[in-house]
Amino acid sequence: MNSASALGKIVAFFRRDFAIARGYRSALVLEILEALFGVATFYYLSRFVDSPALEQGLPGGASYFAFALVGFAFFDYLGVSLTAFEASIEEARQNRTLEALLVSQTPLPVILAGSAAYPFFTLALRTCVYLGWAALLFGFVPRSANWLGAAAILFCSILAFAGLGILSASYNVLFKRGNPAKWLVLGVSGLVGGMMYPVSVLPHGLRILARLIPVTYSLEGMRAALLAGAVWNRLWPSIAALLIFAVILIPLSFAVFAWALRRTRVTGTLTHI
Amino acid sequence: MTSPAIAVDSLEKYFPPAFSGWRALLLPFARPTERALAGVSFQVESGEAVALVGANGAGKSTLLRILATLISPTRGRATLGGFDVDRQGARARSRLGYHTGGDEGFYSRLTCRQNLLFFASMNNLPRAAALERIDETAGWLGISNELDRPVRTLSTGIAHRLGLARALLHKPEILLLDEPTRSLDPLAAADFRRLLKDEIVRRRGATLLFASHTLSEVEELADRAVLLAAGKILANDSPSRIRSAAAAPTLEAAIASLSRRPAPAELRS
Repeated sequence: MNSASALGKIVAFFRRDFAIARGYRSALVLEILEALFGVATFYYLSRFVDSPALEQGLPGGASYFAFALVGFAFFDYLGVSLTAFEASIEEARQNRTLEALLVSQTPLPVILAGSAAYPFFTLALRTCVYLGWAALLFGFVPRSANWLGAAAILFCSILAFAGLGILSASYNVLFKRGNPAKWLVLGVSGLVGGMMYPVSVLPHGLRILARLIPVTYSLEGMRAALLAGAVWNRLWPSIAALLIFAVILIPLSFAVFAWALRRTRVTGTLTHI
Repeated sequence: MTSPAIAVDSLEKYFPPAFSGWRALLLPFARPTERALAGVSFQVESGEAVALVGANGAGKSTLLRILATLISPTRGRATLGGFDVDRQGARARSRLGYHTGGDEGFYSRLTCRQNLLFFASMNNLPRAAALERIDETAGWLGISNELDRPVRTLSTGIAHRLGLARALLHKPEILLLDEPTRSLDPLAAADFRRLLKDEIVRRRGATLLFASHTLSEVEELADRAVLLAAGKILANDSPSRIRSAAAAPTLEAAIASLSRRPAPAELRS
C-alpha cells in the first residue's frame, strides 16, 4: 500500500471519529470548562507556593504556575499515546468492528495510526484550551517562547511516546484487559518525569531513573522552548534524547506488536472480548 | 491452467484449551491442543457456489475465519485466488468479501451511508465510486430508504442487510458468508438468495462459499455442499448426489445419515 493511500485511510478514520464526536457536543463544552478548573487550580496553588527563591530554581526563572501548567498540559501527550492505540483496538473489539476492519484491505498499523489521529487532534486542541485559559485569565504570556522549537520537541515526543503506546497496545492484543505496563510507565513518569516539580528535587536514584524515560526530556525541552525561549543549541540534547528513544522504541514496538498479532491469530483470540 | 478460486489443502486447526482464572494469562503461550479442523481438503472453482454444512462445532466458522485471514491454520494451506491466506494475507484479502451474518460491527451513531463510506475507503474504493456503489448495493438489498438513518435505529434485519452491503461493496471476486440469512425474515431471505444466485454468482461470476444451517437454502443456492463433522469432511458433492448416495429423501435426512457414520479417516485408522 502506498503512502497516499495510507494517508487517505487515516483521513477516513479522522472523519469517522469527528462525525461520532459531533454527536456528543456537550462533552466538548464540559471539557473546555474542565480545563478552566484545572488551570485555575494550578494558578491558586502557585500563588500559595511561589516565591523568588522557588522561581530561581525553575527554568528561565518561570513562575511555578507556568512551570506546572506546561508540565500538566504536555504530560497528557504521554497519557494519550499510551492509551490511544490500545483504546482503538479495545473499542473496535467492543463494538465488533474489529473483524470487519481486519478483513478489509487496510493493514493493522494503518488502523492503529488512523484510530489515534483524532485523539491526538483533540489533545492538541485541549493543550491550546489550557494555554488559552491561562493567557486569558491568569496572565500566562510566553513572550520569549521559541514556538518552532516547541513544535519540534512535541513532534519528537509523540514519536517516542508512540513507541510506548504501541507496546502497550501489544499487551492489550494478547491479554485484553488490565495493562500493568501502562500504569507502571504512567506512574513512574508522573513521579520522576518532572511534571509538577523539577527533577533536581529528587533523590539521586530517582534522578537516574528520570534520565531513562522519555517524558523527562520532553518536559525539559518543552519548558526550555516555551518558558525560557531556548535557542536550538539548548534544545538539541532533549531532541536528540527523544529521537534515540523513538529510534529504539518504534521498531521494537512494531516487532512486538507483529508477534502479538501472530500469536492471537494462532490462538484465535484477536476479536475476543 | 488457472488456479481455483479457493483451494484448501490438508488444513488443520488446533486451538489452545480454554483457561480460567490466573491461568488465562498463559493462553497466548499455550500449546494448541483442541482440534477444530483435521486435514480438510477441497477446492472451489471460480463462479461456483459451495455450502459448508454440519452441526454446531463442526468447523465451518473456523474454516471461514481461516480463509478470511482472521486466524492462522496450524498445518496445511489455503489459498484465495492463488494467494496463501496465511503468508499473503493482504493479497488474499483484496479478493474477498466476508460477512458473519450478524447485525453488529457498525458505528451505531453514524448513518448507514457514513458507515458504508468508511468501510469502502478501507477497501480502497475512491469516494465517488463508493457513493455510486452504496446506492447501487442498497437498491439490490432494499435498504435505499435507510441509508441516512443512524445504525442504532435499525431493526436487526436491516442491520444484517447493511452487513451484506458492506461485504459486497467493493465487488469481491470471492464471497465468504457465515449464515448469510440468519436474521432475515423469510421474504427478505428469499430475496437475498435470489440476489446471490442471479446477480452475484450467475451474472457477475463471483465465487461463493457460505456456511448455513438452512438446508433449503443450501439446495437452492449451492452447486456443491461440503459436509463437515468434527473437523473432517464427510461428503463433498452436489446436494442431489449427497441425497442419492445416502439413499435419503431429503438433504436433512442424508446429512443425518452421513453424520452418524464414521468419517473416512477414522475408517482407515
